[in-house]
Amino acid sequence: MLTRNKWASFFALLGIASLILSACATPTPQVIEKVVTQVVKETVVQRETVKETIVVEGTPQVVEKEVTKIVEVEKVVTPTPTAIPQGGFVTEVSFADAKVLNPILSTDNPSSIVHDLLFGAALQNDPFTGELVPDLTEGWEVSEDGLTYTFKVRDGVYWSDGTPVTAKDFAFTYEALMYGELDSPRLSNVEYIEEINLIDDTTVDFVFSEVNCTALPDLGLGWLPAHMYSPDFSDIMENDLNTNPTVTNGPFLFREWVKDDHITLVRNPDYWRGAPHLEGWIFKVVPNATVGVQQLKTSEVDVYDGIEPKYLVEMELQEHLNLFKYFDDGYTFIGFQMGDPDDPQPRLNEDGSVNEAHGVHRILSDVRVRYAITYAVDRNAIISKVRFGQGAPLEADVLPAIEWAYNDELEPREYDLEKAAALLEEAGWADEDGDGVRECHGCLYAEEGTPLKLNLITNAGNETRESICLILQDQLGEIGFEVEFEPMEWNAFVGTLVGQAFDMCVVGWTDMGTDPDDEGTFASQNDLPDAAFNFNSYYNPEVDELLKQAKTMPGCAVEDRGPLYRRVQEIIYEDAPYTFLYVPRSILVYNKRIGGLDPGPWKFRHNIHEWYIE
Amino acid sequence: MTRYVIRRLLQAIPTFLGITILTFVIVYSAPGDPVLQQTFDPRISGVAREELRHRLGIDQPVMIQYLNWLIGNGWQKDPDVLPRRGILRGDFGNSLIEKRSVLEMIGERVGATLLLTGTATLIGYLLGVPIGVYAAVRRGGIFDNASRVTAVLFNAIPGFWLSLVVILLFAVKFREWNLPAIPSGGMYTLTASGEKTLHLGDRLIHLLPPALVLATAPIANTSRLMRTQVLEVIHQDYIRTARAKGLSERAVNFVHALRNALIPLATVLGPTITGLLGGAVITETIWSWPGMGRLFVNANFQRDYPVIMAGFVIGAVGVIVGNLLSDILYGFIDPRVRLE
Repeated sequence: MLTRNKWASFFALLGIASLILSACATPTPQVIEKVVTQVVKETVVQRETVKETIVVEGTPQVVEKEVTKIVEVEKVVTPTPTAIPQGGFVTEVSFADAKVLNPILSTDNPSSIVHDLLFGAALQNDPFTGELVPDLTEGWEVSEDGLTYTFKVRDGVYWSDGTPVTAKDFAFTYEALMYGELDSPRLSNVEYIEEINLIDDTTVDFVFSEVNCTALPDLGLGWLPAHMYSPDFSDIMENDLNTNPTVTNGPFLFREWVKDDHITLVRNPDYWRGAPHLEGWIFKVVPNATVGVQQLKTSEVDVYDGIEPKYLVEMELQEHLNLFKYFDDGYTFIGFQMGDPDDPQPRLNEDGSVNEAHGVHRILSDVRVRYAITYAVDRNAIISKVRFGQGAPLEADVLPAIEWAYNDELEPREYDLEKAAALLEEAGWADEDGDGVRECHGCLYAEEGTPLKLNLITNAGNETRESICLILQDQLGEIGFEVEFEPMEWNAFVGTLVGQAFDMCVVGWTDMGTDPDDEGTFASQNDLPDAAFNFNSYYNPEVDELLKQAKTMPGCAVEDRGPLYRRVQEIIYEDAPYTFLYVPRSILVYNKRIGGLDPGPWKFRHNIHEWYIE
Repeated sequence: MTRYVIRRLLQAIPTFLGITILTFVIVYSAPGDPVLQQTFDPRISGVAREELRHRLGIDQPVMIQYLNWLIGNGWQKDPDVLPRRGILRGDFGNSLIEKRSVLEMIGERVGATLLLTGTATLIGYLLGVPIGVYAAVRRGGIFDNASRVTAVLFNAIPGFWLSLVVILLFAVKFREWNLPAIPSGGMYTLTASGEKTLHLGDRLIHLLPPALVLATAPIANTSRLMRTQVLEVIHQDYIRTARAKGLSERAVNFVHALRNALIPLATVLGPTITGLLGGAVITETIWSWPGMGRLFVNANFQRDYPVIMAGFVIGAVGVIVGNLLSDILYGFIDPRVRLE
């Protein structure tokens, strides 16, 4: 509640504002859509009390008396709106069980899905634009020097045990990551935070050690209930609340979790945005897509996000299901190793100087070979055959959805086998012994006679990527490559990928978010075998400089950062460390009996408290 | 007897160490580690990853890690590393993924696994024994030949294949054809309000299909074993004596022949107990049965080292104890055997 002083200043401001505004020119009339309500007239019987002058019988007295008369009157009756049906459970399908229901200890998607419905956060992505908007806060301000973010926490939100949600919960959550010695993968969220200042119950400051335009999303973790934990953070790791989160503030409350089977959440009647109409939500683990699709068809489950495109037609034919297609914030690509896969080295030494021992890839370090591969891949065929049309082409590293940074002037490298062959010849790769595979004759980095042989890895079990690899193997084979394709088990794949012990890979990024910063994948300080994600050994000092400038731009205005990212895309397009394949389009399938759904490309559970069962 | 037991237990120690060292080295040599797959996000810096690896103690050489696992890492005196007391002091550590006690995680699921494997083994014995006995008694007949062919078939068919075919046919296809179908997995049906169904029939229809698929191997093995044993016993002298005494065929079969034929079943008790705990890994995964099998399969894929090693320890202890038990049992049952 606003204090008296704040009420006074509020009204004063209002008065001043109205005076100023009244002096402005009259605004142009707007077309206002009016909701037409049906006007219904009914005759209603009413009692009316009326004063009458009456002559008392037998006397000359005239008296005023109140008499009740029965009168018929016509009245306008407003129709009663039909109430939204309450109750019912919505079941959503998942292929993996959640791991830990604590927002600062989890990184896997299923855990996030569940604890996002239990714990609110400082900010979230707008479901339709992806922009960062406040959730449990009312907003934030950035200081002049760009180092201090001041958050104003919303009033009137309560934990399920009645304690109010305050800025202390926000501060506690992040202090736990900074000082709690937790073994959490979320430690990187606080890497640049210098200190946290709790000003009062509704205000908290985050001070960063350097200007970081990408820092804000890191402050979006769900808040822990500070009053349930010890102030020295010692009981966070092994707390029962990690599997039985009984104190929450989201639209749903935790009911039960049967491992590897299901999680049940029930309505929180005190949810600050309004009590959900649904009685609850069930997160069900299903072994594979076949069973999932079957359960969707028999209405055993209601929601399936991310169904594979091969089921598209089957799903469109189901009368009781709705589909929502949206572009992922990520892309699939072919990655080229530009270092020596037999001797992976970091690009920079400890002191920041360039590591002279960093190797070169005997085939892929020549940009003409990389161009040749790009021209030899029919990307449109891949989108239409492998993704069943659910994808859009991409030329560089920024998604078209990030409009302020996307460079739309890059020429697509269309499928052209002749051009690919010509490039290979120019690069010194020719097939002189007639075995169908080219060898080095005057090529840049390899020894004379080295065959044009490469290995290609991807993660086994991902049908889409495996199909792409087979197509690649085939199409590259036509112009004289010999490609050895090896699908690997996920963990082995990640190990080999980040260990930089491969030639080519087909992999994708997801959850890239709304910021086009790509230091993680293209900056030279992240060329660290076994530790960081510039696993292609890409090195371009201009890109390093541009990315760094854009990330630390004072003021973080998109007008300043945009041109820098556009130039980065130009360079990446020229250097071709990846062949960008496509931005996938995902499909959300849900049962028509759920009303109130309003899915956006970034989120669809954002208004889950407004869903109902028809 | 006591000396025998003590000697066997002492012999078990090097066996245990051998099994655990070998499995430890193999698991840790596999490419990929739990940190990478938990932090598969280019925005997380290399520094944060290395810090996490150090905190979990997985940046040390393999043998040092083994030592830490066995006796704890107190001797290293590194304040940044998560403290561990070692399995010899009962500390199996915390899961690197779920961040909670490994023993607690296993404890939650033991019941489900024992239910499934116990039922499968029980079905195996209840069906296998009579089939084997009857086949032996009617040797050379149609039943005998049919049961032997079936047994070989059951042994040859891989369990996971059979599970997938059963699910595809009886769960998915039957439902499409509007026939009464079995559930495609899980332990129970969730009602519309998310409650577990307590109906016995529901539990049985979820339990029986995977249990029956799992039981194919025990049925095959038990019936063949019983058949061989009964055949051997039937030709013994004491059986001829019993018949000569005038006992009914039934008494001869059940009282004398069967009891002696059952003895070798005791010898396979050891591996059977081990199988009870760990033998349903793939079946549990396919049928979404929330048991220990799934826990270990997932842990393996995610390189959750403490859980994987806990699984191997349980397996090793199960094998050692199971074999010891069956040897002791054999000694009790068969007076001809002297344990020394």
